[in-house]
Amino acid sequence: MFGYYLKRIFSAIVTLFIIATLTFFMMRAIPGGPFTREKALPDQIIAQLNAKYNLDDPVIVQYLNYMKGIATFNFGPSFRELGLTVNDLIRQGLPGSMKVGIVAVLMILVFGIPMGIISALKQNKPIDYTVMVLATIGVTVPSFVVATLYIYLISSRVSWIPITGLSNPIAFIGPAIALSGYSLSYVARLTRSSMLEVLRQDYIRTARANGLSETRVIGKHALKNALIPVVTYVGPMIAAILTGSFVVERIFAINGIGRYFVESVSNRDYTVIIGMTVFYAGLYIFMVLLVDIAYSFIDPRIKLGKRTGD
Amino acid sequence: MRNPEFEYVDSSRKESKEQIRKSLTYWKDAWRRLKKNRLAMVGMFGVILIILFGVVGPWFMPYSYSDQNNNFANIPPRLEIYSIGNNEYVYLSKQYNLILVSSKGELITKLTRTNMDVLNKIYVYTYDGEDIVVDYSYRARDNDDGIDITVSYKGLTSEYPAKTVSNKTYRLGSDNLGRDLLTRVMYGARISLTVAFVATIVNLVIGVTYGAISGLEGGLVDDIMMRIVDVINSIPLVLYVILLMVIINNRGLWTIIITLGTVYWVGMARLVRGQVLGLKEQEYVLAARTIGVPKAKIITRHLIPNAMGPIIVSMTMMIPSAVFTESFLSFIGLGISAPQASWGTLANDALPGLSTYPYQLFIPAFAIALTMLSFNFLGDGLRSALDPRLRKG
Repeated sequence: MFGYYLKRIFSAIVTLFIIATLTFFMMRAIPGGPFTREKALPDQIIAQLNAKYNLDDPVIVQYLNYMKGIATFNFGPSFRELGLTVNDLIRQGLPGSMKVGIVAVLMILVFGIPMGIISALKQNKPIDYTVMVLATIGVTVPSFVVATLYIYLISSRVSWIPITGLSNPIAFIGPAIALSGYSLSYVARLTRSSMLEVLRQDYIRTARANGLSETRVIGKHALKNALIPVVTYVGPMIAAILTGSFVVERIFAINGIGRYFVESVSNRDYTVIIGMTVFYAGLYIFMVLLVDIAYSFIDPRIKLGKRTGD
Repeated sequence: MRNPEFEYVDSSRKESKEQIRKSLTYWKDAWRRLKKNRLAMVGMFGVILIILFGVVGPWFMPYSYSDQNNNFANIPPRLEIYSIGNNEYVYLSKQYNLILVSSKGELITKLTRTNMDVLNKIYVYTYDGEDIVVDYSYRARDNDDGIDITVSYKGLTSEYPAKTVSNKTYRLGSDNLGRDLLTRVMYGARISLTVAFVATIVNLVIGVTYGAISGLEGGLVDDIMMRIVDVINSIPLVLYVILLMVIINNRGLWTIIITLGTVYWVGMARLVRGQVLGLKEQEYVLAARTIGVPKAKIITRHLIPNAMGPIIVSMTMMIPSAVFTESFLSFIGLGISAPQASWGTLANDALPGLSTYPYQLFIPAFAIALTMLSFNFLGDGLRSALDPRLRKG
């Protein structure tokens, strides 16, 4: 068991290492350096800038330095935001993204899972159809449309709902809806179909035959197994949502790392792009790892260490 | 004794009466079940409609996607027109341009503004040598009797719109440069669907080849190939799409196709590998191997055709997610460059004027949602039609 955790952690580190390497060399492959501007800078200034940021070292030395930085969580300076490091940007952006993200994740868990359960229990009843129609709409409408519609229909007409920013708790509603819409619907659909499958199992019939109350059958026996596929989806989803959606943060003008990432892309701020990618990937891999470990507690059918492929 | 209701048949007619039901092939059977699924048929109808809309639609439009007419910028699909007598009407746009409109709703010309009295909220335009006075001070009054603006021309004043007509020149309105939105959405459909289809095919080719080789070879090759897939799978792919878009740095149709096509094949590879692992143990594959059929031929002749069902289902699900990703990328400014437009760029263009011209966002957003919905319905239906385990007869 412990050996399995070690193995998973090791492979997560290897994956992260590959991602960092890949990103580093991808960014180096771009024609033109980070100081290429519309107005060409004099050669001497470029040489000095290169020297300042150690860009005149051989690529392999740069690579080693960069990897050393990542190992110590130091992603280096930003080329465009003078005086700021990538760490500063992440530190500035993360709280905003996290706040909205936590609200969104809570909404998904609090609404999505019960919606799926109710709809499975009332299969083919009006409430089931209503939930499924809502969930289908949620999956098909892109988040930027949800966000803009929310602004147009609600916050621009109701004066006490702020349009942008996160100045008061009510301001969280819009970004959280836009951010959670897709995942909420997906979780509801997933919970429903997995619940339906579990409810057909023999042990549920046995539980009922033994005279257990319906609440106990659903709550204790069915739910535990029905939630396994949901956990698989929710883990990486939490990572994606907590680190923010590029679009939602842009529309609602939230200072989050998603917004910094998009800005760094359009500014071609290479260190920020690499740093954010690695940071984001690291978080994502970490969440997947957590899910894998959580599995061993939820699902006794999974024998760790003996998993062979898919 | 002859019952009039019966008659004798000779042998030639007898044969034709004998019912020999042809055995259904896999595909015929799937199609039969798909036809029974009403939601899937709605989805298929929607898909066909959208494809026709994009492919055939622009032929019937008098404009191209880049034709612009600044005089008619930001005109909505429905117009409230005011009569100026003589069966002539005017429409006051949100930018306070006065446009001469025929009674049917055709935009004729933009009238020149000769005087702007911002203080009293009165604008004067000229038509046929005479002044048209537009008084919009009612908009600021509390008690306006339901009057929005008044239009006076040759001593005749209309206080209420004569009628609301559909815009006949631009059926779905025009954008901020005076381009026909319907035409742009049609071309947008072309771009979005081209990106989605081609990227899906690229994904398909890479994923199927990769998965089939990995599954058939097995052993060390399979291990290494699947480790690579594991690594790629643990990367948040949107990041890599964005990185690739930055690196290729050429905002064209092909860039986005290549990017999407080379990143999202992992799921397909896993699926095909799983199928191949099961299929390669079958006797016919063993037979083919025994008589020395080369591996490439085993893959193309035996393995892929038999794994086609799940592959097609996964393909129909890939297309909407490609549309989604493309519109997302275009929306954050990494997509198709102007004057070409995809649905994502159209939605992005509509953002600044959203509160005044919401229709400019609604139309592309509706197109995206309709596409997603249709493909999702069709994909769900195909899944249950093609999956033998879900067969109910």
